[in-house]
Amino acid sequence: MDKELDKSGQRKLECADVSRCFQLLERIIDGNNIPDSKEIIQEKLAKCQPCFEHFHLEKAIKEAIHTKCTKFCMSEDMKSDIRKKIQEIKLDAR
Amino acid sequence: MSESQRKKYSQEEKDSIFDGEFMPHMDSMYNFAFRLTFDEDDAKDLVQDTYLKAYRFINSFEQGTNAKAWLFRILKNSFINEYRKKSKQPAKVDYQEVETFYNSDDVDYQGTTDLRVDSVKDMLGDEISNALNSLAVDFRTVIILCDLEGFTYEEMAKILDIPIGTVRSRLHRARNLLKEKLRSYAQYMGYKTDSEEEEEN
Repeated sequence: MDKELDKSGQRKLECADVSRCFQLLERIIDGNNIPDSKEIIQEKLAKCQPCFEHFHLEKAIKEAIHTKCTKFCMSEDMKSDIRKKIQEIKLDAR
Repeated sequence: MSESQRKKYSQEEKDSIFDGEFMPHMDSMYNFAFRLTFDEDDAKDLVQDTYLKAYRFINSFEQGTNAKAWLFRILKNSFINEYRKKSKQPAKVDYQEVETFYNSDDVDYQGTTDLRVDSVKDMLGDEISNALNSLAVDFRTVIILCDLEGFTYEEMAKILDIPIGTVRSRLHRARNLLKEKLRSYAQYMGYKTDSEEEEEN
C-alpha cells in the first residue's frame, strides 16, 4: 500500500497491494494475533480509501452475522432425549 | 501426545470430562447442525450421534484442550460421512460457484463491492440469515465457525482438516459470495448502493 497521502492530503483512491492489505485487515478483524495491529489499522485506514472501505464493510458484516443471526437452541425435550441415550451408553459401558 | 501414549480415563474421569467439558456445548452444536441441515430432527440426530461418538472415543480427547473444537470436528465429519450419504436430497451446492471459487488457495483480492456499511447495519437478522443459508455448505461452514462461533483460524483448520491458508482463502471467498447476496438483496429492498448513488449524481 502506498505509504503517503496524495498531494491534497486525501486518502489514496487505489491500493498498491490489495491482496496483502485486505488479507491483513481480515486477519485483524477475525481476532488473529498480529503484532502492532492497532497501528497498522490506523495507518491503513488514514491513508488508503479501498482499505478504509474494506475494513469497515467486513467489520459490519461480521458484527451483523454475530449479533443478528438467530442462534438456534435445542428444546428441553430434545436435550432430555439425548441425555437419556447417553445415560444408556454409560450404563452399557460399565 | 499420541493416542497410544495417552492414558485411559477411569469411569469417574470420563463422566467428569463428559459432563463438565462436553455437555455445555449442546446448544452451539445444535445451532451448527441446524445451519448445516436446515432440519430440526436431522440436527438433533447429528448432535446425538456426535455425543455418542464423543463418549465412545473419549480416550482420544486430551483433557484441557479445546473440547468445543473437538466436538465440532466430530459433528462435521458425521455430517459429511453419514448425513450427506443417507440424505435423500443431494446437498444444496451451487457447483458453478464452487468450481469458480473453490479449487485454489490463491485468492483474487479485489476492490470493495458497492455494498454500503449502512445497508448492512440496517438489514434484519432474517435477511442476513437467508443470505448466509443460500451459500454452498462449505462456504457457509467457514462463516458459521468464524463469525457465529468465534473459532480461530487454527481451530477451524483442525475442525475442517484443511491448512490455515485454505481456511483464510475459503473464508475470503465465502465472504465475497455473501457480500454479493447481500448487495442483491439491498438493491431488491431499495437500500442504496454506491453504484446507484453514482448513477444519480
